[in-house]
Amino acid sequence: MVNSLIKLENVWKVYKLGKVEVVALRGISLEIAPGDFVTLIGPSGSGKSTLLNMIGLLDAPTRGKVFIKGKDTATLSEDELSHLRGKTIGFVFQEFNLLPHLTALENVALPMIFQEIPEETRRERARNLLISVGLEDRISHQPAELSGGERQRVAIARAFANNPELVIADEPTGNLDSETGKKIMEILTNFHQKEGKTIAVVTHDPHIAAYSKKTVNIVDGQTSINQVKAKKALWSK
Amino acid sequence: MVQINEYFKIALRNLRMRSLRSWLTILGIVIGVFLIISLLSLSEGIKETISKQLRALGGEMIFIMPGDLSNPIAMFLGGAELQKEDIEAIRKTEGVDRVLTMSYKSVVARYEDEGKTVFLAGVPWEEGRDILEKFQGWSLEEGKWPIPGKREVVIGQQVAKEIFEEKVKVNKEIILKGRRFEIVGILNSLGSKTDDSFIYMDTPIYKELTGEKRDTAQYVMVKIEEGALADKVAEDIKENLQQTRKRRAGTDVADFSVITSEKMGDIAGNILSIIQFAIIIFAGIAIVVGGIGITNTMFTAVRERTREIGIMKAVGAQSSAILTIFLFEAGIIGFSGGVGGTLLGAIFAKVIEKYGQAHPVVYFSAIISPGLILFGLFFSFFVGCLSGFLPARRAAQLKPVDALRRYE
Repeated sequence: MVNSLIKLENVWKVYKLGKVEVVALRGISLEIAPGDFVTLIGPSGSGKSTLLNMIGLLDAPTRGKVFIKGKDTATLSEDELSHLRGKTIGFVFQEFNLLPHLTALENVALPMIFQEIPEETRRERARNLLISVGLEDRISHQPAELSGGERQRVAIARAFANNPELVIADEPTGNLDSETGKKIMEILTNFHQKEGKTIAVVTHDPHIAAYSKKTVNIVDGQTSINQVKAKKALWSK
Repeated sequence: MVQINEYFKIALRNLRMRSLRSWLTILGIVIGVFLIISLLSLSEGIKETISKQLRALGGEMIFIMPGDLSNPIAMFLGGAELQKEDIEAIRKTEGVDRVLTMSYKSVVARYEDEGKTVFLAGVPWEEGRDILEKFQGWSLEEGKWPIPGKREVVIGQQVAKEIFEEKVKVNKEIILKGRRFEIVGILNSLGSKTDDSFIYMDTPIYKELTGEKRDTAQYVMVKIEEGALADKVAEDIKENLQQTRKRRAGTDVADFSVITSEKMGDIAGNILSIIQFAIIIFAGIAIVVGGIGITNTMFTAVRERTREIGIMKAVGAQSSAILTIFLFEAGIIGFSGGVGGTLLGAIFAKVIEKYGQAHPVVYFSAIISPGLILFGLFFSFFVGCLSGFLPARRAAQLKPVDALRRYE
């Protein structure tokens, strides 16, 4: 199992809100293999965003271990993690998270700056990515001048900027109408199929889950691969 | 190192995004640097002028003035004089080469039917002219020196150009106490407005004109013998004067001052150093306030851009990148303030200099050395970085997940 991209081993995450401890993840074990298209699905408050932070190396677990390509993330420094994250993982967020005063092109080129890619290459690649998501005539527009769907397409282009092995999308269609959402999912699926990218999508929308081959249900900070069992667990509460 | 350039661009763009706030913060630094540069260049200029004048004096002069030097106002207004015996005592002191006495008085002078009060000074031309020229730096702007014994005068710059409505010309007549004198020369500036407001004439003629026949003096200059030590001679003069006074008045209160030109320079230098020190303290406070302004604006920026920081970290920015960007922002603010402050300070100093030349009190030029300019620029950049360090570090230490957390 060394060839898994991301591996979670009995991961717990406990937040302290004042004196109250909130357990967000209760011993989750999960593996994402190269080339997977995984959907993490669960109701809001189920801990799926927390789980996504773990997979995306944005946060460290309270207990348990996270491995990236067989390497224990606990042994890496903050800066090493940042570097690794920038190189290996691309993010698509629900609220797009573009830098408001950068143009589409500059937003897409941003992750490449931190990987020390020369300017010429950056511009070239960013332009190509924007063209591939159908934004060739929006290249020098700022996010404020773009529609929601266009913004999310810029974000997707950015996620693929450093040619990452894994792209994580957190509710990528959550702020979009269903028609636009569908297009966004098509673009993501396209990247998966054409370039063999590993993709992990977090959603609460079963329609989105339908795009992927593998679905992981999250309920109360625990995973269940079986959807029926998950539903039962949900209803029994 | 490719990215340093990029970080700089990002920092610059961020500053432009909040340009009003950036400019206001820059203004804070401009004021501080402006104060430092203008005041330092002016005081440096005054210092330079004084030391130049003192250098012209030469090292081997001693000045004796009646009255206590620690109370200069009483000294000048009190009309105290050195008596004939005092002057004799000075003359007899070992190591004294030549003694030059100087007396002065204010009189009414008439030039071209215009009457004005001026200072009239008696100077012994015959024995003293070379000393005045060599050691006091006297020189003629035009005309010639008076012939001793003749009713001829030279006038200072102020008398020539400012005091009378009509510009005073060489070879014209001036009437002093009802008697006609010929103006034969105009002196170059002697370095102070007071000295330039004098009319100088030969001592015997001065005595005759003013009726001062007691051979007193208000001011004595001593040129010491070659090889003699100025400090030693000054001490001896002091002692001799004290004895003379004790004999005459029965008191040993030292109501005279003996000072070497070197010491005079020291006193002036000390005073200026204190002034410069005070300037640096006050301007320093202004800089600190400006620096706090930078810290404040940077903390605000970190708060506002927490999410942006989170995004940048999520897409691979290391802490050092965030730190660099924020330090650049603070540094740019500081440096811009430095450029503005240095420029304004230099302009202001030059304006004061020009004003000073048009309305002279003391003659000086503002000294804006490249060193001072470099200091202004680097110092302000440094202040900017220093002030921005805490906010930048806070930004760098933000955890990506915390920075990205939604604020709803």
